[in-house]
Amino acid sequence: MRGPDVQWYVVLSAILFSTGAIGVMLRRSPLIILLSVEIMLNSANLLLIAFSRLHGREDGQIFAISVMAVAASEVVVGLGLIVALGRRHVDLDVDKLRTLRG
Amino acid sequence: MKAAAWICLLLPLASTILITLAGTRISRRVAGYVSTLTTMGSFAAAVVAFVQMVGESPEHRGHLTTSWTWLAAGPYHFGFTLLTDQLSMVMMLIVAGVGSLIVAYSVGYMDGEDEERRYFAYMSLFVFSMLLLVQSGNLLLLLAGWGMVGLSSYLLIGYHQDRPSAVAAAKKAFVMNAFGDATMALALFLLIQQSGRLDYAGVFAASPHGGTIANLIALGLLGGAVAKSAQIPLHTWLPDAMEGPTPVSALIHAATMVTAGVYLIVRTHPLFENAYVIEDLAAGLGAATLLMAGLIALVQTDIKRVIAYSTMSQIGYMFVGAGLGAYPNAMFHLMTHAFFKALLFLAAGLAIHAVVGEQDIRKLAGIGKLMPFTKVVFLIGSLALVGIFPFAGFFSKDSILAAALDRGWFGVTIFAIGQVGAFLTGLYAFRLFFIVFTGEPSAFAREHFHSHHGKEGPLSMVWTVGALAVLSCIGGFLQFAPFWHPLSTWLDPIERPLAEPATWQEWLASGIAITAGLAGIFVAWTIYAAKRVKAPRAVPLFERKFYWDELYDVLFYRSAEVLTRGLYAFVERPLIGGSISAVSGALGLGSRELSAAQNGLVRSYALALASGLAILTVVFLAAR
Repeated sequence: MRGPDVQWYVVLSAILFSTGAIGVMLRRSPLIILLSVEIMLNSANLLLIAFSRLHGREDGQIFAISVMAVAASEVVVGLGLIVALGRRHVDLDVDKLRTLRG
Repeated sequence: MKAAAWICLLLPLASTILITLAGTRISRRVAGYVSTLTTMGSFAAAVVAFVQMVGESPEHRGHLTTSWTWLAAGPYHFGFTLLTDQLSMVMMLIVAGVGSLIVAYSVGYMDGEDEERRYFAYMSLFVFSMLLLVQSGNLLLLLAGWGMVGLSSYLLIGYHQDRPSAVAAAKKAFVMNAFGDATMALALFLLIQQSGRLDYAGVFAASPHGGTIANLIALGLLGGAVAKSAQIPLHTWLPDAMEGPTPVSALIHAATMVTAGVYLIVRTHPLFENAYVIEDLAAGLGAATLLMAGLIALVQTDIKRVIAYSTMSQIGYMFVGAGLGAYPNAMFHLMTHAFFKALLFLAAGLAIHAVVGEQDIRKLAGIGKLMPFTKVVFLIGSLALVGIFPFAGFFSKDSILAAALDRGWFGVTIFAIGQVGAFLTGLYAFRLFFIVFTGEPSAFAREHFHSHHGKEGPLSMVWTVGALAVLSCIGGFLQFAPFWHPLSTWLDPIERPLAEPATWQEWLASGIAITAGLAGIFVAWTIYAAKRVKAPRAVPLFERKFYWDELYDVLFYRSAEVLTRGLYAFVERPLIGGSISAVSGALGLGSRELSAAQNGLVRSYALALASGLAILTVVFLAAR
């Protein structure tokens, strides 16, 4: 036995993805939405790695690493925007940020 | 004989081609001489053919020559065939003879016009077309000639193409003639369906006796004849056609083309005899036209229009003759009419030429004093027109009226109308003569009159008018019904007349007609020359030409206008325009509604994304 079966990973990944998706849809704070997106990305990474192990091939892991790289850079941009908003004393509420002209 | 017939036909065509191709390389005068000489050559060839024909026995005078098969379609073969027989011989002599005189006259009349070459090319084209019409050996070729004379008539009426009225008149003539061409073509379709052939002998043998088909065939041919010959109800183009130069009016709209309808009826008389109702209709239309045209001519003030209405009236007599079966008499009147009507037009042309184009008889009044020669020849023409012994019209018109007496009550009715017409002829012809040629010259005439080197016109105009005056004096003696009748004998193998009046009928008809004509002249003299009676006021009905133009305006132009306006209001705008604006409106509305979905709420976008994904997943799973 090398740990739990692949089904468990799939189920966990689904739970994580749903959590993230619901977070994106329901929460108003851009910070939390960013976190939820990260959770969804990581659920996908979990699946990639799980199936990579199941099939004994490494390309899934490589994909997971590149997804992490993309997610990191995305967080940099996202957090940067949020900090900029905070500095300008704008309400951190996506429902109020409806137009691009701040 | 055959060679002469071909030369007669093709010389004018050669002249047209030559003048057209030579263009400005030949002078305007040379173009006139080319046209004159070729038409005269045509006449010479016709005379040669005539002399040869006289030498043959009467039963063998018809000659068919086919140069090639012109049109072959399935089982149908129509050759380029010329028929030279007694009837076409008469027409060839008239067309080429009178034609060459009038073309010669044109050399003087058209001198100084800008585009004489074009004029003479058209004239030659007309002579060719008319000869093709009368020489054709089958109905298809006749229809081709029929259309081509219509074309050359159109071109010549519209010769002054910078004058809007001339262009309008040309268009009117062409449309009316095209209507006639169409009914003729329909009749030919019926004939092909009946017999499969279009040569005269074959068609006459195979056409049905009586019945609807025979009536329709005759009616179609009559439609063509009526349009070409300006009879009721397709007559309104002829007075307007006077916009063309005067020699054109003389040649096309008096002497030759407008009588083509009479020629057609005489040529295809077996078809008309098979449909006697239509033949009676032809006579009735002729009678109605001769009466109506005579009444309108009483009040016209344009010298050429008066003569034009008199032409309509005289062709009415010919239609009466042809419709009642007096074919030789109709042809005889066609011939004498060609002489005296060409004479009247050309004499009027002398007067018009002398005062630089003025045609109003009130302005021309009294010009006879300045132009004694024109006055004499116009008098000769008028006397021949009225039918006073011994001038040409006396012999031919009276024999038509005599023939009418021989055809039962219908004939007697037409006889009565014809006699009234004879009175009107005397009245309008001498109204014109007395106003224009007697009395003191008007101020306008004095001021604008200019003689041509002391003469009344160029030599080419004077001698041709003189020749026609001589023909109008002696032409009638060709046939003096009770005593000698060479023309009837000559034509007898072609058409046996249905009406052969007795001698007492000839005397009665002549007696009444000459009395009526003299009475007309006397009335005209009292009113317009002696001025014993004040001229009555013109009747509006006559002045407006019996409202035919207005009727056609309402019937065709206005009704079409109302129809198209209705279609625009009730079909074009709601249906066609409406459907397009409905499509664009629906698209605009839809996109406006859809743009509301773009509201800037990130969460709703995310929801749409997620639900779209969910729906797609469900769909794909279900599809498996």
